[in-house]
Amino acid sequence: MATDFEPQIVGFLCRWCSYPGADLAGTSRITYPPSLRVIRVPCSGRVDPLFVLKAFQDGADGVMVLGCHPGDCHYVEGNYYTRRRYALMHRLLEYVGLEQERLFVEWISAAEGRRFAETVTAFTAQVRELGPWGREGKDGREGREGREGRKEGGNGGGRRREVS
Amino acid sequence: MSAENRAQETRGQGDKETRRGTPTMSEANGTMNIATRDDVAAWLDGLSRDLTLIAPKAVEDRVLYRPVAGSAEIAFDFGKADLPAKEYFLPSTHVLFSVEKDKEGLRVEEPSLEEGRVLFGLRPCDARALRVLDALFLKEPVDPYYAERRERTTLIGLACREMGEECFCTSLGLAPDDASDVDLMLTEVGGGRQEEGKGYAVQVVTAKGEAILGNLRLREIAGALPEPAVREKTPVLEAEAWSRYFDHAFWARLADRCLSCRLCTYVCPTCRCFDVRDYETPNRGVERLQAWDSCMAENYRRIAGGHDPRPTKAQRLRNRFYCKFCYYPQDFGPIACVGCGRCIARCPVNVDVVEVLQNVATL
Amino acid sequence: MIDKIRAKARELLESGQVHCFIGYEEGTRGKVRPAFIYEPQDADRLIWDERCTYNLVTYLHQFQSAPNPRPGGVRETPPPVGILVKPCDSRSLNVLFHEEQVEREGVYVVGLTCQGVKVNGQPQARCQRCAERVPLVYDLVLGGVPKTVGREDYADVVKLEGLSPGERLAFWTKEFDRCIRCYACRQACPACYCFECVAEQLDPPWMGIAIDLPQKQFFHVMRAYHLAGRCSGCNACEEACPMGIPLSLLNRKIAREVEALFGYKAGQDAQTPPPLATFKKEEELSL
Repeated sequence: MATDFEPQIVGFLCRWCSYPGADLAGTSRITYPPSLRVIRVPCSGRVDPLFVLKAFQDGADGVMVLGCHPGDCHYVEGNYYTRRRYALMHRLLEYVGLEQERLFVEWISAAEGRRFAETVTAFTAQVRELGPWGREGKDGREGREGREGRKEGGNGGGRRREVS
Repeated sequence: MSAENRAQETRGQGDKETRRGTPTMSEANGTMNIATRDDVAAWLDGLSRDLTLIAPKAVEDRVLYRPVAGSAEIAFDFGKADLPAKEYFLPSTHVLFSVEKDKEGLRVEEPSLEEGRVLFGLRPCDARALRVLDALFLKEPVDPYYAERRERTTLIGLACREMGEECFCTSLGLAPDDASDVDLMLTEVGGGRQEEGKGYAVQVVTAKGEAILGNLRLREIAGALPEPAVREKTPVLEAEAWSRYFDHAFWARLADRCLSCRLCTYVCPTCRCFDVRDYETPNRGVERLQAWDSCMAENYRRIAGGHDPRPTKAQRLRNRFYCKFCYYPQDFGPIACVGCGRCIARCPVNVDVVEVLQNVATL
Repeated sequence: MIDKIRAKARELLESGQVHCFIGYEEGTRGKVRPAFIYEPQDADRLIWDERCTYNLVTYLHQFQSAPNPRPGGVRETPPPVGILVKPCDSRSLNVLFHEEQVEREGVYVVGLTCQGVKVNGQPQARCQRCAERVPLVYDLVLGGVPKTVGREDYADVVKLEGLSPGERLAFWTKEFDRCIRCYACRQACPACYCFECVAEQLDPPWMGIAIDLPQKQFFHVMRAYHLAGRCSGCNACEEACPMGIPLSLLNRKIAREVEALFGYKAGQDAQTPPPLATFKKEEELSL
């Protein structure tokens, strides 16, 4: 378990609640680890579970999906769907071997700046404990000899964006 | 060395379609050179020290050609590998080159094989398939990635004692013990004169094969190579004749049950279509990937602008047969099918190429 | 029973009620394959026995899904078809009806009661787990009253759940490694009818063209997720797979969770709202 590695965390924050919550943490000068990469979405209901899958494939060690509290969604119902989707996705990912502690879905309101920072700090520590995902051999790429002639170069293979 | 010379070198001698290995050591005087299985295993272990050894290996309930650390991992008693060895010459995915940027500027990296390879246990159909691919990839302009893999791989064939359930290699002019396309040919010989366990008759076909023979212990005994058990042949129409049936309703009816799943093209030893795309690497560099594609895919022939000359399943399925039996022979020489029968075994809806050939012959 | 099937097919074709009847026929080498009967006299090609494992509902994608009309154009009505379904297939049919991919009026359903099918002489595990022996939707049902009913206990799924995350990862990595990304599973699946699959979208590039482990993992997990509440357990995917990957272990895990979390089973009818297209305001789902 490498404890000196800096986890890469991707966070999907909804525009109306959790993102302002993060802003509030910032303006209040509450610090939290810089390993979080934030992607703002209009609503947590926008977060297709495939985004989470893709984030893990492309190098994320942990993913957070943060939305409004149920009942407070700006679009009324979005986060109800989120709740159902992630209940399912969480269990599916766990079943294929991704530790459930790597995916974190929570409701954080615009007023909860401190709670945001605390949540991110705790989650980052948890992911750091778990170690990197999908890089050093965890995705089974070590010894995949059929791929001779291909330099690994630190890239597990899934982290690509189309250029042309 | 030009591509043609290189191709000749790996071909063996002559261009007869069905022949045994060059009788440099054996048949001419009614003898065979036999090695026991244990000796062959030890010899392969020796080879694997300096070369990558690729051999049939049991993977769950399938047998696949895989790199092995030693002879202990080899599934010696196998019928036909579930996937052909094509992936070692035309990999399902590989990096053609990558461009990385660092302080000094741009750096282009072209991966190449780190060491030479030995492919053990190649059946004559799979070996002939490589010859079929050579007709395209080693023709000018030569595909350097394919050429390097071919050049740096020594092929040790394993003759078939009998044709399998779905095999029809003889219908295409091959034989189950055809040694023309490998560097060394092994044929299982059992019982009788063996002192220890099973053995193989060893034939040297090319100089490349001779070069790796090394210290393999061979005993010369009298006898002839066993004849393989063959099946009835299916008529195969000549390439020119296929154009008569292009518009026949037969293809649409056949394609009704096709799923366009592309499974047939992936298990086929001669199918070779690929896609090339550029992707960004984590260090903001670029790598160019080549990966298998399939003419059976729904959007395979869709071009910029959205036009698709083969939008229906019927057109795509018809194209598959025409590509193999009509276009490829006309363009490159060999029929792009070696009768291995994997597509027959694996197609979930029983699109059976032998049945198609039989039907086409009577259309 | 085969005579009744043939007679019905003949009748449907003769009266013009259907343009094509989809059933099973004898293939080569002792295999059974899907049959497409267009002429009444060809109805005698139809067969029915325990080798008829294949889920024919997947063919309704092409026979029934009319292509999207150009803007301002009229959606064509595809010609009606007749189809033979087993109970498991009928669940898939309900899913397609429910999702409005196929018009109920456009399909004449001949349902068959079923005691189980065999692949290469082996009784299928899914038949022992199947709780339905009579099709759930039909215009005509043929066959005797079934004697036994199966029960799904998810025993193998539970066993896999009991392993540690590392062991599960190792298991699935080993399975996905064998995958050649041929998409036979997707093409065989009646519920996979997207014109352009996420896996093949190049803009945005979800997966890319590489046939490597990360892509294969993504594809299978993605497909399993997209089948949540829609997979009828017909096993066409696992049967089609050339590399013998146990896809039913993945799909049934999702089915188990959907049942446990939302009390929903796929394909029971064409009216109950699907679990992921609806919600309850007050529900406790541990995340």
